[in-house]
Amino acid sequence: MADKCPSCDSCGMPLEKPADYALGDVTRPYCSYCTDARGRLLSYAQVLETNTRYYVESQGISAAAAQRMAEALLADKPAWRGRH
Amino acid sequence: MQPATRQEQKAATRNRLVNAAMNLFARHGIAQTTTADVARSIRMSHGTVFLHFARRDDLVIAVIDEFGRRLAVEFRQALERDLGLRAVLQAHLRVLAAIEPFYARLVIEAPQLPPKVRSTLLMLHAAVSHRLFIAFERERKAGRARKIERPLLFNTWIGLVHHYLVNRDVFATGDSVIAEMGGTLVQHFMTLIKA
Repeated sequence: MADKCPSCDSCGMPLEKPADYALGDVTRPYCSYCTDARGRLLSYAQVLETNTRYYVESQGISAAAAQRMAEALLADKPAWRGRH
Repeated sequence: MQPATRQEQKAATRNRLVNAAMNLFARHGIAQTTTADVARSIRMSHGTVFLHFARRDDLVIAVIDEFGRRLAVEFRQALERDLGLRAVLQAHLRVLAAIEPFYARLVIEAPQLPPKVRSTLLMLHAAVSHRLFIAFERERKAGRARKIERPLLFNTWIGLVHHYLVNRDVFATGDSVIAEMGGTLVQHFMTLIKA
């Protein structure tokens, strides 16, 4: 079994290759999906929306359930911990 | 051999905990297994568990993440070599077969899992759906598959696999329903999507 794979501090996506990281920079804590063109972390609302849409498009989960799942997924990620 | 560094020892302990948890979850169920059970099974102090996992749910998520890591490796190989949809399905089953008793428990208990754990599992399904669809679209563009929407493509495959896993006691004559039925399921799915 390998050591723990690094993952995005915002959404938890496994960071397996440079292209997965913001700006392709492996020293950054966030993935390319959670950051803008300058590598800055997107807002919580934007990240929540992206993850909600991913649940819906991949499995046809209802929008309301997908949002609940996305909220649960992000709740204790370092970027969003203690937000509530 | 050089002595292990502190970081290597920490990683090794974490891996032992994840492996032990996976085995106990498979045997006794996820909800029924405590962190104390996991620690006891590998003769570790209960407190050590919490040095690595702040909460029990974090340990469950670590086991699911390990499963996801194995899937990512298999899928990457199948997709990068452009081996086709059949190879992606086989890669999926290969990983499931290696952890079949645990995965079957996970599927059975999924609706009762805490939202944090369930959302992780559903995100893993989303990643499988994504990769399945990439391979499927290549088949479709080559004229070998008909048009199917992404959610239904994935749900048809996962529904089929999960049905056999949840009822593995009646479908399998040995220890692994995937070993016995996997080839049939892949062939059936390939027939279903054919153009």
